[in-house]
Amino acid sequence: MEKILEVKDLQLSFHTFAGEVQAIRGVNFDLLKGETLAIVGESGSGKSVTTKAIMRLLPESSSEFKSGEILFNGKDLTKLSDKEMQKIRGKDISMIFQDPMTSLNPTMTIGRQITEPLLKHQKVGKTQAKKVAIDLLRMVGMPKPELRIKQYPHQFSGGQRQRIVIAIALACNPQILIADEPTTALDVTIQAQILELMKDLQKKIDTSIIFITHDLGVVANVADRVAVMYGGRIVEMGTVDEIFYNPQHPYTWGLLSSMPSLDTAEEKLYAIPGTPPDLLDPPKGDAFALRSEYALAIDLEQAPPVFKVSDTHFAATWLLHPDAPEVDPPLSIIERMKKFPGSRYYEGVAR
Amino acid sequence: MAEKLLEIKNLKQYFNQGKPNEVRAVDDISFDIYKGETLGLVGESGCGKSTTGRSIIRLYNATAGEVKFDGVNVHGKKSKSDLKIFNRKMQMIFQDPYASLNPRMKVMDIIAEGLDIHGLTKSAKERKDRVHELLETVGLNKEHANRYPHEFSGGQRQRLGIARALAVDPEFIIADEPISALDVSIQAQVVNLLKELQEEKGLTYLFIAHDLSMVKYISDRIGVMYFGKLVELAPAEELYNNPLHPYTQSLLSAIPLPDPNYERTRVRKSYDPASHNYKDGEEIAMREVTPGHFVFCSEREFEALKLTSAARV
Repeated sequence: MEKILEVKDLQLSFHTFAGEVQAIRGVNFDLLKGETLAIVGESGSGKSVTTKAIMRLLPESSSEFKSGEILFNGKDLTKLSDKEMQKIRGKDISMIFQDPMTSLNPTMTIGRQITEPLLKHQKVGKTQAKKVAIDLLRMVGMPKPELRIKQYPHQFSGGQRQRIVIAIALACNPQILIADEPTTALDVTIQAQILELMKDLQKKIDTSIIFITHDLGVVANVADRVAVMYGGRIVEMGTVDEIFYNPQHPYTWGLLSSMPSLDTAEEKLYAIPGTPPDLLDPPKGDAFALRSEYALAIDLEQAPPVFKVSDTHFAATWLLHPDAPEVDPPLSIIERMKKFPGSRYYEGVAR
Repeated sequence: MAEKLLEIKNLKQYFNQGKPNEVRAVDDISFDIYKGETLGLVGESGCGKSTTGRSIIRLYNATAGEVKFDGVNVHGKKSKSDLKIFNRKMQMIFQDPYASLNPRMKVMDIIAEGLDIHGLTKSAKERKDRVHELLETVGLNKEHANRYPHEFSGGQRQRLGIARALAVDPEFIIADEPISALDVSIQAQVVNLLKELQEEKGLTYLFIAHDLSMVKYISDRIGVMYFGKLVELAPAEELYNNPLHPYTQSLLSAIPLPDPNYERTRVRKSYDPASHNYKDGEEIAMREVTPGHFVFCSEREFEALKLTSAARV
């Protein structure tokens, strides 16, 4: 598969009054054409900052690219001028934000907001742009689009507004769509509709999607591959099956165990103890070591390198080092691993 | 059967009553809450679940119907001292941990506000000790008492909200989406804390949420609301294994689970209120299909549901 975006050793800091916040500390990943990559992690893990860095939406006065590059079709986005970036943003790479209530302009009709990227990036006239806008609204499932493009955001419900935001993001058939928690503010029924819509549209226009969320149910639903972020780094990355049925990093174990499942009635929910690391003064070794019962002595000394589990599956934990003791993951994780051929707990018949 | 702590009878909460823009946020619902249980209330936004909670605790004056707490009606005229007694028994934890704490008050004063109002502590030292004790109960430490809310993370703030609710030793707590604004890993911490406190202090909860997997985990019984009506009420396991109302079925089929194989085969049902084909004059009410499992349905649907349930057993 063709790589459309490559992020290589990205490091980014914010300068604040309290000092330098090392928000991203060496992030590497590729995005393939037509795939959905989900980035999961808790608040402050750097998932939103990573995508905002790709879109170059971070304030230049306080943020600084320390090193690394973001290659999009061979161009390094970190080195582009504002003018050059404006030609890419909203056209080749577009973004859907978390909160549909605040990401639309309340003083503009939605028709104007949808035609804005069309008029800016494509050589179309006003009447043509309006036609496209109506088609887009129809595509995202809005009834009576001819009438509704004259209305203002407050006349729409939350789910409808998110559909409008999606329509705007898709107006120029972008190659990459970044969705930053697009369904977190919505109800489950509306969320299911929006996710189905995004998957349909992806098939139609073959966009690659970077999907940020902390809801693992949503990840299981939409993702082809998953990157788990913690403390400004990607700690584990693999296909959706590898992450859900053969997770290797203790943080991934914790995340998966802290979601209650509908079919079992556990007595006590597993909660990851403690709080996320302070990136003003990031820990020397593995950032998760202080919250992990699986931490080894070396975790406090030295950050783990990335170990390869399979051709598509990588994890940064010392537990994968040949010299590391063999540990048993939590019970609920072993239950998951039983379903994964190639895991040492696999209980099926080997093919 | 356990003792009833709260009886809600034909509760109605209309806004803009009599005007063209009248909203029937809660439209004639009845249910009981038993001592020591957790009743979950779910439904999509705008279905009236938060309004129900707020009407129960008298943040709104109910349009009609009654809420009986330990046999005494919550609504209606009350003297100041009666109201005070009632306010001590019932407390609320709010959804947004950022908006529900006064940014200009220190944690000490936020938590002690209830103590002061009810005159529960006699000296400044006793007040301080009580606050420290409460902070420790919710997993914070006493150094936190001299800080302001902005110095805390979302999960810690929600713990402060819980400590404030616990300060006056309530019997009943309404938790209105207490975890929606928190991260997954922190959600588990707060839910575990609520469960521990319930065991320790014998609290009764009304847990309002739209995250159905968490609700199932914490609740003994669950009520499902749709457009101001309670459409189904059943023990948690029963509701998930055997949802009877088509709206509940559609709601359950929409939950994504952290299991890719399940997700690949999940079929979502959608709910169309017109599918009931209610005729004029048909009485639609909560009817008990199997013991403890109530469904909002007509006589005709009731008979059909009873048949299918009998066949299932």
